[in-house]
Amino acid sequence: MRTFLIFLAAAIGTYAIRVSGIVMFGGERRLPERVERSLRLVGPAALAAIVANSLLLDEGEWRPLGAWHLAALVAVGVALWKRSSGWTMAAGAAAFAALLLAGL
Amino acid sequence: MTLSRPTLGIAPRQWADAWAGLKAIAPLMPGSALFGLAFGALVNIAGINPWVGNFASFSVVAGASQIAIVEAIRTGAPAAIAVITALVINARFALYSAALAPVFAAFPMRWKLGLAHLMTDQAAVVALQHHDDWPDPVRRRWFVVGGALPFVAVWCVGGAAGIALGPVIPEAWQIGFIVPLMFLAVMVPGLRGAPALTAVGVATVVVLAAHDLPYGLNVLAGALAGIAVGSFVPDRGRHPDTDDGLAHDAGAGE
Repeated sequence: MRTFLIFLAAAIGTYAIRVSGIVMFGGERRLPERVERSLRLVGPAALAAIVANSLLLDEGEWRPLGAWHLAALVAVGVALWKRSSGWTMAAGAAAFAALLLAGL
Repeated sequence: MTLSRPTLGIAPRQWADAWAGLKAIAPLMPGSALFGLAFGALVNIAGINPWVGNFASFSVVAGASQIAIVEAIRTGAPAAIAVITALVINARFALYSAALAPVFAAFPMRWKLGLAHLMTDQAAVVALQHHDDWPDPVRRRWFVVGGALPFVAVWCVGGAAGIALGPVIPEAWQIGFIVPLMFLAVMVPGLRGAPALTAVGVATVVVLAAHDLPYGLNVLAGALAGIAVGSFVPDRGRHPDTDDGLAHDAGAGE
């Protein structure tokens, strides 16, 4: 029951966060140019922060150089070359599997 | 799509638009399934009631925060700490929500309220990347739901499988790599322009510099710093038909 209530509270809070901007700024009026410029950067900035935290750190400590970094480099290279999410996932996963099999 | 009769009360045109959304997010769906599997396995190991674990998947719909809650429960943290940690991790959704406001502006309120729940990182970025291709608000909302709901469904199914089966994926496979890989796959293909590149660079540096912050606050700090600094960078090479800071992923539909 305690666990259920924790998840329920997290679910309600997370929904409130998710709906906040959509409802608050949801009118037809245009936002100021400056704000629009900032909002365009939300995707790249948030995704880069998650990547840095999960790839270069491991639970807050530096991740030792190895298969994670090399496979991610392959994924970034393929992403810039093919400009495709599917190719990026496939190449990154294949590179990571190969590096693990090679004992890295 | 040559059907002329509605299916489940939904017209063929809407099915086709939702299908386009599904194709845009499809490359990321294996990542969602595997991440769900990892969350489910953790629920299984922690001895949490399976129904509660599945409830978490479709009510919270945010993997990193769900994993943080399970870890907090396992380590005996107070309930308030578990909830606050999850909400801090999920604070970035407020940024997506603000960015999506103009995209959803012309939708009926019940659509806004429903779609908000489905806005994972991946679905939000797909909607932000593609919305210019869907100027008609009716067609746009079907594209958005197609690019969001199946991804959440796959997440829930992956979670249910993990809860039922436990840790079927060997530790040695280091399945955690799916997290940075999935986010690289949604970010890098569309990455263009000095402001976006600056945002990425600044966010990365700040996340690393602030790695001692608790509760994943370094991620929030990094995202905010990236947005703030990037917005000061002039975009000289700006193409008039791209206005989301991320170009469109032509290969995503394959």
